[in-house]
Amino acid sequence: MTSSSVGTSTQAQIVQSFLDALARHDVEAAMAAVDPQVTVTVHPLGIRGTGAGVLHEVVTDLVRAFPDLMISVSRVIATGDVVTALFKAEGTQAGSYAGAINQEKHLDIDQAWRFTVTGGLITEVSAYWCQAQLYRRLAVKRYDEIAIA
Amino acid sequence: MTQVSTPPRTAESAAGVVTEFFDRYRAHDVEGMTDLCAMNAAFSYPPVELWGKQRVLRGDGKVRTIGKPLWTGLIASFPNLSNTVHTLVSNDEGDVVAEVDVEGTQQLAWGLVAPAGQHYREPHLFIFHVGPDLLIDSITAYWNDAGISQQLGHTEVD
Repeated sequence: MTSSSVGTSTQAQIVQSFLDALARHDVEAAMAAVDPQVTVTVHPLGIRGTGAGVLHEVVTDLVRAFPDLMISVSRVIATGDVVTALFKAEGTQAGSYAGAINQEKHLDIDQAWRFTVTGGLITEVSAYWCQAQLYRRLAVKRYDEIAIA
Repeated sequence: MTQVSTPPRTAESAAGVVTEFFDRYRAHDVEGMTDLCAMNAAFSYPPVELWGKQRVLRGDGKVRTIGKPLWTGLIASFPNLSNTVHTLVSNDEGDVVAEVDVEGTQQLAWGLVAPAGQHYREPHLFIFHVGPDLLIDSITAYWNDAGISQQLGHTEVD
């Protein structure tokens, strides 16, 4: 369940580098920490896939839709190869996102991302947040009519 | 004089406490779940957010004042509530992270969702901290409440 503190620290640093790059909106730098065959699960978006391209699209969509995106990391928890990051994502919508049209609403969503780091790269990501909160912030009224304001 | 000794906190013993927590949750033993927590244990369920006209009720506070009523209410609304622990990782500092599916069939209203006999199963990520006394002193959980609402047939974003 645990590995050496040196290894755990390194794994946490790799995840921190991913999050720091995301906070700078530098998608390519973030993806430099990711294995090309990464397994990606984004529960609120119903995304389950393999390959860096899947994660690249997830973070690119986020940065594009919220150009003033701010990532505030509250905790990074290292448990062996698994690193869990808790953070808040904030921003003002400037483009469609997850089916919701742009109404220039402000978003603030608490999230938890669970990473697995193997061989110095992120090999698995599972992202958790509440899509009900996200749609509420973006003024979506119904799950079956997401694009209708 | 008799002394009761607590085994040292390790990654394994912290994981054992959380495994027992989910066993008791599966058995609907809310008192037992609470007994595994420190008296002033912190509780945070960020997805719990009920918007009223003048205030927002959030799932933040203490296990005994917010967590316990939430668990009790959830079990009342979903009498067959269950959980499946998929992964559970921990460290010697007492951090425990668990990927858990929670599921149940609705029999009573839950929040603004009217009962329609529908079943839900939703992935959750639980983050615990277990203190040196092997009592849980913090519980945080994330999940997608929209997924639950839609599975229960509730299509409004409340």
